[in-house]
Amino acid sequence: MKRDANLWMLCVLIIVLFGFGGVVSGGTYLSLFNLQSMAMQVPEIGLLAIGVMLAMCAGNGGIDLSGIANANLSGVASGIFTLSLIDASQDPLLFTIIFVIGCMVIGLLGGILNGIVISRFGITPILGTLGTQMIFTGVAVVLSDGRSVTVGITDSLYSIGNGLIFGIPSSFILFVVIGFVLGVVLKYTPYGMRLMLTGANPKAAAYSGFPSGKIIVTTYALSGLLAGIAGVIIAARNINVKWDYGTSYLLIAILIAIMAGVRPEGGYGRVSTVILSAVVLQLLSSLLNFIGLSNFVRDLAWGALLLCFLAVGRFNLINQILASIASMRSPRATE
Amino acid sequence: MKNKNNMLNKSVKAALFTAVMGVNLAGNSVFAAEDKTITTVVKISGIPWFDRMETGVDLYAKQHPEMNISQVGPATADAAQQMQIIQDLIAKGTDALAVVPMDPTILEALLKRAIARGTIVVTHEADNQVNTMVDVEAFDNTEYGTALNERLADCMGGQGKWTTFVGSLGSRTHLQWVGAGEKNAMKYPKMQLVDPNNESFDDANGTYQKAKEILRKHPDIKGFQTSAGNDVLGVGRAIEEAGLTGKVCLVGTGLPNPSAAYLDSGAITAIGFWDPQKAGMAMNEVARILLEGGQIEDGMNLGVDGYEKVSVRPGAGAGKLLIGNGMVLVDKETYKEHLF
Repeated sequence: MKRDANLWMLCVLIIVLFGFGGVVSGGTYLSLFNLQSMAMQVPEIGLLAIGVMLAMCAGNGGIDLSGIANANLSGVASGIFTLSLIDASQDPLLFTIIFVIGCMVIGLLGGILNGIVISRFGITPILGTLGTQMIFTGVAVVLSDGRSVTVGITDSLYSIGNGLIFGIPSSFILFVVIGFVLGVVLKYTPYGMRLMLTGANPKAAAYSGFPSGKIIVTTYALSGLLAGIAGVIIAARNINVKWDYGTSYLLIAILIAIMAGVRPEGGYGRVSTVILSAVVLQLLSSLLNFIGLSNFVRDLAWGALLLCFLAVGRFNLINQILASIASMRSPRATE
Repeated sequence: MKNKNNMLNKSVKAALFTAVMGVNLAGNSVFAAEDKTITTVVKISGIPWFDRMETGVDLYAKQHPEMNISQVGPATADAAQQMQIIQDLIAKGTDALAVVPMDPTILEALLKRAIARGTIVVTHEADNQVNTMVDVEAFDNTEYGTALNERLADCMGGQGKWTTFVGSLGSRTHLQWVGAGEKNAMKYPKMQLVDPNNESFDDANGTYQKAKEILRKHPDIKGFQTSAGNDVLGVGRAIEEAGLTGKVCLVGTGLPNPSAAYLDSGAITAIGFWDPQKAGMAMNEVARILLEGGQIEDGMNLGVDGYEKVSVRPGAGAGKLLIGNGMVLVDKETYKEHLF
């Protein structure tokens, strides 16, 4: 009950934002086109946020700062590799498949590197992933000479980023499906249980004989894989990939995770809440653009939101309010 | 800014009004403005260059009160942030977008979708943008380079050693400028180019070091032609410290406010630039013409200083490339007219 405070608050926020946006924009905000447009923007940052969540759950100050750099590197490296191998106009489907697999493999390798740096060399995650972030960015710059790489010329790749299935952007469906699978893995597999327990109490986990090194490498590898998929979506949406794309995503991904009630000290986080949290942030961001507010207000709004959600988590506000409402309704129950 | 606030106030009031009265939502729309909306999206907001552009957009908004004209931009220099703003503006139903792309390649797919949806798209500083209807450039790069060099040759009396600086060897426009300069200098057989195309990386301090080296290596050097915005500051400092003010000529791209001290002292002979204020107005004017179904034609007058007789060519894609004569070249005497 206590942990669901964030989920509850996010649901309320979604309704409020839809209502307010609809009224302020005279309905345009709720138009199908805008809903699709907003849904199209969520997946890339949402996947990175899930990666941050996984790293946080692993505990011991876990965090993944290398997400967007890894995503960019995946897109750039896989793009260059695939372009040199296959003529996209000759065989678009094969091109897309190889590009997608390439992105995922590179993302995964990047994640494994993170895991090894953290578990084998015992480097604090914030420093370790900061280092790998710079390495990933650097490699992407060197590979591409600092220029953007044009990949998304084929129809099949373009449709991953921009296509619609039953009116819903395919990238959003992909995002939700990935989130669902991960949620199931975390909840029902031994790995998921061990990850949360290790995060909650590393010492107890070690004495229980959990293979903590393996768990950490797996977790960061998953985070890297998600970054690789984010790289695919970025490439599919934009036709071009570049090393410096989305530098602002790093902090936003962390914000989304915190808003979702993921415990920064480890041991708790739910994928479904992270997805909702990413949706809330997108709704708010688009709403600010609709109103035409200065983009500096947006930074202020993010900061206020972050503090607000931290306060909710810290003081258990929602439950207190619920309890006080309940006690007002039936005064005898509490006596 | 005022315009924006008004709009915000209006929309908030309208929201409260509708919420309180509970009247039909669709009936009381603020965004279905009486007339069309033109939004200028810049690379980054809050820096002097784009603040200057905003003064132009605001001025244009004042001249055209019947339209809804404003400028927005991301708070951080990130192509992804600019992309989100543009995507939301398209969804909002903005009639025309005037974009200064942070990275033209990243925006291609999005602008393509915008055009497909019927949004008017005008760009600036992106002559390689494929998906745009009209790309507005302040001047022809070759003419600009020639003009800078002509000013330099004039100061040097058509003789002596000279050199050039570029931001980086990957910077296409900078190489076009110095290339045109070299070509122009061939008119003066006594001008001798030494160690050309020094890379400055737009870093005033690095440029200062490099300029000092060049002054030591060629004590008889007479001229510098520079390209990136901060180059004149670095080279100007090196010239001033070497006590060569007035003896060595320096002409390059720069902005009036930062260069003022060196222009006054004479370390910088002249600076060239284009005024973002005028470019902002020109972009909006082009957008307005396109909104009214007009055509952009060679030789037309946009009614903005420096864009009275524009030349129009085929662009990188299906769109057009519009080139103004918005080049400004100022020295000690004249820079005060353009303080920004």
